[in-house]
Formats: sequence, structure tokens, C-alpha cells
Amino acid sequence: MSDRDSESRLTGPAPALAAGWLLILSGLAPNLACAESETVDNQGCLRCHQMATLAYRDPGTGEIVDLSIAPMALSHSAHGKLACSDCHSADFDRYPHPKRLKEETLSCVGCHEDQDDADQRLYRFETIDEEFERSVHATSDHPKAAGFSCHSCHDPHAFRNSRVGEEIRQIVHDDNAICLSCHKKVQDPLRDPHAWLPKREKHRESVRCLDCHTPLTEAGQPVSHRILAAEDSNRDCVNCHSKEPQLLNRLYQYRSEEDLASKGWVSKAVFNEAYVVGMSRSPLIDRLALAVIGITVLVLGAHGYGRYRAYRREQEDQA
Amino acid sequence: MKPIQNLLSTPAGRRLLIAVLVLIGLTLAYKLLYPLMFESYVGKTNAPLTYDSSKRLTDAEFEALAADLSREARYRKAASIVSTDQEPFARQVKIEMLMGTDSVVRDSEPSHIKYFRDAGIRRYEGPDTCLTCHATIKIDHPDGTVATVGTLEDIVDSVHFKFQSDSGGFSTYGYDGRQVNSGPHKIPVGKIDRACGIPGSFTWTGWAALVEARPEHAPEGEVQLRSEGCGQCHIGGNYQPATEKMMPIGDVPNEAKEGIDCLICHSTRYDMNQRVVIRDANGLRWDQDRSMRAALTVGPIRSENCLRCHQHNMGGDVYLHNAAAQEIGYAHQRILHRGAKRGNPFSPHDDAHAAAGLQCTDCHRPSGHKIPRGRMGVDLVANDLPGQEVSCESCHSQAPHNNSEHKALLNGHIARLACETCHIEELQPTNVVLRDWVHPTWNAEEGIWEPTDVYLSGEPGKGFTFLWFNGNGTFLANALGNNPNKSDAYDPLMQQIARIDDPEIVAAVRAKAIELKERYPEIDVDRYVEMATNPLSQLSPELLEKRERMIQSNLRSAMNQGESRIYPFKRFNAMMYEDMSNQGPFGAMILPFDYKTYYETGDSRAAVVKAVQDPIVRRMYQEPFKLYMMDEFMAYFGVTDGWQTLYPVVDGKLVNVEPHWMRQMGTLMVNHGIQGSGRDCTDCHSPDGIMDFSKLGYTPERAAELEDVDIAEQLTSDEMSAQATPSD
Repeated sequence: MSDRDSESRLTGPAPALAAGWLLILSGLAPNLACAESETVDNQGCLRCHQMATLAYRDPGTGEIVDLSIAPMALSHSAHGKLACSDCHSADFDRYPHPKRLKEETLSCVGCHEDQDDADQRLYRFETIDEEFERSVHATSDHPKAAGFSCHSCHDPHAFRNSRVGEEIRQIVHDDNAICLSCHKKVQDPLRDPHAWLPKREKHRESVRCLDCHTPLTEAGQPVSHRILAAEDSNRDCVNCHSKEPQLLNRLYQYRSEEDLASKGWVSKAVFNEAYVVGMSRSPLIDRLALAVIGITVLVLGAHGYGRYRAYRREQEDQA
Repeated sequence: MKPIQNLLSTPAGRRLLIAVLVLIGLTLAYKLLYPLMFESYVGKTNAPLTYDSSKRLTDAEFEALAADLSREARYRKAASIVSTDQEPFARQVKIEMLMGTDSVVRDSEPSHIKYFRDAGIRRYEGPDTCLTCHATIKIDHPDGTVATVGTLEDIVDSVHFKFQSDSGGFSTYGYDGRQVNSGPHKIPVGKIDRACGIPGSFTWTGWAALVEARPEHAPEGEVQLRSEGCGQCHIGGNYQPATEKMMPIGDVPNEAKEGIDCLICHSTRYDMNQRVVIRDANGLRWDQDRSMRAALTVGPIRSENCLRCHQHNMGGDVYLHNAAAQEIGYAHQRILHRGAKRGNPFSPHDDAHAAAGLQCTDCHRPSGHKIPRGRMGVDLVANDLPGQEVSCESCHSQAPHNNSEHKALLNGHIARLACETCHIEELQPTNVVLRDWVHPTWNAEEGIWEPTDVYLSGEPGKGFTFLWFNGNGTFLANALGNNPNKSDAYDPLMQQIARIDDPEIVAAVRAKAIELKERYPEIDVDRYVEMATNPLSQLSPELLEKRERMIQSNLRSAMNQGESRIYPFKRFNAMMYEDMSNQGPFGAMILPFDYKTYYETGDSRAAVVKAVQDPIVRRMYQEPFKLYMMDEFMAYFGVTDGWQTLYPVVDGKLVNVEPHWMRQMGTLMVNHGIQGSGRDCTDCHSPDGIMDFSKLGYTPERAAELEDVDIAEQLTSDEMSAQATPSD
């Protein structure tokens, strides 16, 4: 299982794996396991790799390379049911690990496209691969982008899909944390290229980087993996701030699901929170206006009912 | 007279005048009467201080001394440059050429020679002289801000001077479950009022003593005076510690401030032989080196400055490389303590950082005269900068191992182990674990009675043990923390530090008890061994039950806070006299010894009677003191019904006072004496390793796994084969 060099485009050493939950909002089937083991015993590997500080300083870069795996994150991740040896060579069971295994390369696409249901899925790993090849992370000749792979963003030991019911702010925060773990300049208020953007902090709290930095996709489609360079990214406010916000579709779609699940479609239809430029979006005024409309309808109804009763009585009197 | 008459003519004016007079009266009373009242209340004196070494030099003497000091400094500089690998005569000629060059003069001549010469300073008169130029200092704060503060106020308000602090931010928890001084009623805590079993006294009663010693080598009947007391390591030069600072109002009198010894920390050539007890018309106090030699050689602080005092509690007085212990005085020589307090020296011979030329202040980075101790501490010694970190990680990062093939695995241990756990393999063998103050032993060579060091050891499991520690400690210096599995099985206050099981230690204690019985026939050897190795056996069943309850309900949450790691802790217990009216499940108030009586007569009871009759201890047993601090103190101590003011001496006899070992061992952090290469895996990961994983709260399965030698053996065999066949 470990030898999948055919898909070498997405392989290579994984620099700085972003820690924490890695999330995508995609239509991926929830379980993409290559092989499912009924009983997973990873204790042998975790004995060392669950040490929170299992790490070393790479003599080449001077950076700390983190080798630790949080057991809870692993077991809750999309790969939680897998045995370590499903992806990694079984020869890793010895310590010190044999030197030749340092060359081990892993491919996400190879494994995920081997799944039985691969061709039934809406969004395939082959598509991701194609998109990624045109991504700025793949095409850039910036030295820091060298060796960029799936694992540069998606920690395979913690990754899982977002689910309906999760706090949307948290999803946005965790998602952006992946980008920000490398793109430090964005956090420096003096050098942030988003200086043009009104209410930068608000945007960062409620919109994913991806929402602007990927090409528009049709409604219902997940976020593209083709990350756009800064100059190609969306700068048009109206793309989001309109009644038919295309860029935010994916996030709003998710929010809709969440709203639908928790509040029902009526309140979703009534309290649709799309922000249109120039509109005041005060929830209080919304509610007051709704109340006024509601009372008007009630009064109208009561008046109609009264007229109906009066009419019936008149009829009865006549009869 | 006209304005005053005008003022008195209206009622408002009269009221104003009365208010002004009252204000002036109160200020005068506070400035003049309050200090006198305070002095008479605590029974301590203040008087102008003089020092023999403070002598005025003539211009000619000054220039001669300056020439000497300059030559010495330039010689050292030149000698450090000129290679030793040549004909000695040729080397000497080169050194002399080099030391005459302008650049060497400029770089190495003590800077204060020029300053003093230009300012006309020909006599060093203590802080006054320093303050002539250094009235204020600039303090660089860690956040980048710079503050200018008065030098004298800065030092007077530092722990180095006042030995206590009432600030919050202690990581210390009372046995009642409250964090010390986190509430509105703050009490002064620190070395000033902390009775401790290692020195056997506290600063009020043990400040300065002149002991008559009768060494065996001295001519028959000759008596030599020896110096002893807390003041030897504390910078106040007065007749007592800065007790005034314990009150919310009032200040230390100017006489006491003038006694501050600037040079012991700031001079490169301070003569520790001057640091002995002297007697004058007002009593006993510690002498200082106030010579021009010391003053002219002021320079940047180096480790040697700090170690003049601090090697005493790290390596110990008997540590081979303790420089101050080689200069014990021209007269009234200081008594050296045999058992070391921590046994972890900071010196190039035994510490990797000292060997690398690191200075104390590289890690303990001062803010003015306030020196950080770090955020982790169990000893209730006051901390000037409790929020400032001093840790291995701040330099070494989370991934410190770069040398070993197994660096990742070694780094992996950091989540659970403190660096010191592996990198302090052992303490000095003179590290004292059990000290009996009640049954002193005659030291014939020194001619004094000394406390009996029942057990000394620097070995893991004996001299020190491994405990979970999250930075919190109890009021009696016990490390708090817990296994990250939050197990209730980890209970050091009932196990590791309340019991000694090691058969070797038990046998050693028994041997010592049998030896002591020769002089003290009343000793019951079995009971003695039981009390020393199982101090909980001194508690009644009710108190024992209460103790367990208090640990669970009051300390568990402090133990479970934050992230604990396993640290090495030096263990210590002492047998002392205790005031049984003030006993709780964690111990009773220990009573201090009068050093002179103790060392001279070996009558430990008489020494306690004498010390307890000290005026300030009498005050301690009175109502104002009880309300001001002792009730709160005892609550932290685990005594729930307040401080009992039953004075323990009646008609010169001790009443309701019993000799006891503390109910649990104190645990002192050890952070120095760091070795570059750490322990081997199998030191811990083997069935008979140095760590008791079960007592550390691991489940039996996990403990078995941790004791499993598989990985460790694999490592060792791999290393062996790698050594046997050079790798390709």
C-alpha cells in the first residue's frame, strides 16, 4: 500500500504541517479509507509519536520539524480508522527506523482514487489534483513553495471534514489558521497586502481566505484547490455583497445547512443574512420590521375574520 | 503677626490653622515617634554604623593603590592573550610589553579609578559614595520600556534587602487550599519570617552570633570566636533584618540603609575575609569590606559576585570550588556548614552553563535590583518578579537535542520531563537529607556542637526524588502537580515525601541512631528510625484522617492545574522542637535555636528557650501579631483554628514543646549543576529504574510499559553495532 509513486505530483516531504483541525467544506464522502481495519492498534507507533514534543530541529532550515501526533485528533480524524501501516511502511515498527524509509513518499490521490466509490463522487481527488496543478502553490517558483504537497496544508493525522452544526466562526478561524501559519505577512498590520479591504479584521473573522483566493465555482460545488495568486484573486465587493453572492456561496451554503438543521427553513428564508452593500443590517430593525408586518397581518386577519363573522350573522338573521 | 491674626479672625481660618497643625503633628509623630515606638516594640536597635575597612586615603596612597590595581588588571588581560606555549621568560617580556599598550590600559584598567580620582573620592563610605553618581538608574523592562528609578529605593524594596514580599503572584498554596496572598489580607512572607529546618532558626533570632569555639588543635583552654547567622548572606549591615518593611507603614531607618553592602555584589575584588560578625556598643552585626580596593574594582556583575553568597546554598560550604568558603575571615571565622542545602553547584567544574562562561544574570536577567527567580518555585522564598520566566526553554527551545541520533525521541520526553530530570544525574554527596537539631554532635576539630546530619546523599531516589510539578507549591515547600491522567493515585504528601522506604537509608538512619544513643541514652532506636523515616507516624489517627481529607479537598485542584512535568526535587527533613499548641496535620510551628547557646553548649533545649525569649518572638505570641499575620499564617499552614498565643516558655522551661520531624519532607527545586549529557534510557526505563512509575500515578499497564526495556535495549544494541562497524 505504501508504494504509490505513480502519483508523484502530490508527494514529497511535508514541511510545517499545520496543527489543529484541518477542514474543508467539500462534498467528499465522509469515509475515504483505502483499507479499513476493524481493529486498529496504533499503540506501537503512538508510544513515541504521541509525545507532544517529539520533534527535532532540521539542520538544513533551522526549523523545528514536529513529529508528534495527538492521539485524540488522530482518532477523530478522517483517517482515524486506519492503521498507521495502511499508509506507512510496516517496517516503521522498528526503532530506530530503517534509513531507507526516509525516502518514503505518500500519495493522497493514489489512495483515494482506489476507492470503490471513486467514480460516483461529485468531487474527485483527480479533480483536486488537476486544480492543485494550476494553483499558485504549485506553479510559483518562490523557494518557500518548493516541495508543496497536500500535507503542507492538510495534516493527514488530524484532518477531518467540517460537519453541520459546527460553529461557523470556528470553521473560518481554523481554516484561515492553516493559511496564516505560513503567510505571516498578512498578520503584520504594516505589511498586510489587504490594506485596501475595509474592516479587515471582520472579514478575517467571518470569511475564509479561500473564498476570495479561489476561482468562482458553481453553487453546490466545493471550494476549488486552485489557489489564486494575489493579483488574480477576487477584489469585487459585489461578488459577495449582493443578493446572489457567488463567492460566499460555499460558506453560505454551509451556513444554510446549519441554519436549516437548527432553525428550520422558515427562519432561514426570513432572516437570510446576506449583506448587500448600502443596506443597514441591524438585526434589531429586522426583527422590529418583521414584528410590524406580523402585527399588520394579524390585524388584517382579525378584521377579515370579523367581517366574515358579521356577514355570516347577517345571513343567519336573514334566513 | 498680621497674617496670623487675620487668619484667626474667621472661624474658617481657625479651622484651617488647626488642620495644618494637626497634619504637621502627625507627620512629626510618624517621622520621629513611630520609628522609636516600633524599635521598642520589636526590641531591635538602630544606630549609625561604622566599618573599620572604610579608611580615608591620602592622594599618594590613592595613586599607589590605583597603580597596583591597574597593574593587576592589565597583567591579567595581557596574560590571557599571550600564549603559554613558550619560554616563560619570553612570555613574561611579551606580557609586560602588552600590558603597557594604550588599548590594554583602556580596556582593562578598573574604570572607577578615573572616576574616583576626578571626583576626589578618597574614602568609601557605603551607599552614600555610590549614590554620589548613581542616584538613579535606568531599568530596561522586558517589554522594551525604560524606567528611571531611585537606586536606593530600588534596592531597599528588593527581596535581596527585605527578604520578604506581600505581593500576590506567589505560586504557593496554603494547606487550606487558598493561594497565598491572593486575597485581601496580605501578610509578609519570605525568608524573614520563615522558620526553616535547614538553618534551624530564622533571621530575627539568628541574624548574627559570635560563638566561642574550643578547637582541639588550639592550645588548652583557648577560646576562638566564630561567626554564624543569616546576616552573612543578606545585604543589610544592621543589627537585625529589615523588620520595618513588614509593616504597611514606616520605612527602614537611614542608618540601616547606610549599612547596605553594595560592594559584595558589585566589586570584583571584595574580600570575603571581612565578612564576619563584630560586636559594638549596640550589639552584634556583620562586618563588610568597605576598602578603597573593593570600591575601585567595581565592575559588571559576574557569577563570582552572586556566588559569594549563593554557592553556600547551592554547592554548599564544603563544596571544593566554593571560593567564599576559602575566605572565612581573618578573625571570627565563619562557621562552615557540613551538609549542603541543595548540593547542586554552579561552577565550571560541575555545571555545563558555568563551563560555557554563562553568567548568572544571563538567565536571571535583572530589572534594576530586582532579580527574577522564574515562575516555578516551591520554597516560599519571596520573588521580586514572579511573572518573569527563567527557564531552560527560553534559550533551548522545545527541541533542544541536536547531537544525538535519537534527538526526536529525546525531544519527545520534554512534554513530560523537565530538563533537570535527566541533566542533573546526581547532587553533591554532602547534600543533607535528614538533620537532627535536637541531638547535636561535638565537632572536635571546630570545637563546637553541630546539628547531627543523620543522612547525606546526592543519589537519585535517596538525596532527591522525582515529582510531578506544575509550578505550584505548598506553604511548607512541597511540590504540587499531578500525572496528566489526573490520577488520584499520585499522592506525594502521603507517599514519596512522607515516607522513606529505601532499606539503605533506613539502615543508615538506624546506625546513626545507635551512635547517638551513646550520648543520648533516652533515645529509643526503633522509635527514632520510625519517626525519621515515617514522619506521619507522629500524627494522631484523627490528624492523619484530617490530613488526607485536606489533601483531597484543598490541594487536589492546585495539583491538577496547568501542565505538570516530572522534576527532580531535593528532599529534606529536620528534627526540631515544635510548639504543640500550634499543631496541624502538616506540622507544628517549629521553634528557632539560639546559635550561640547551641554551638557552645550543645544544650538544644536551652538554645530554644533563649531564642524564644527574643523580644520579637514574645511579640509573636501576643494578640496584635496574631491578628496582623499569625492567624493567616497558620491557616496557610493547615492549622484551622488560628494561632494559639500560649507562650511556650514558663519559668525558663519549655511548655507543650516536643521534638519532632516535620510531618513531610520539604522539596527544594534543583536547577543548577547541569550536565551536558543526560541520563541513559535504562536509568528510568527498567524494572529497577530510578523512577517509581506507579507512585507517579501511572496505571499498572502504563507503568509496566514504561518499565519495558525493549526500546531502550534496542537503542543500546544499535549504538553498539554502530560503534563496532563505522557507518557508511
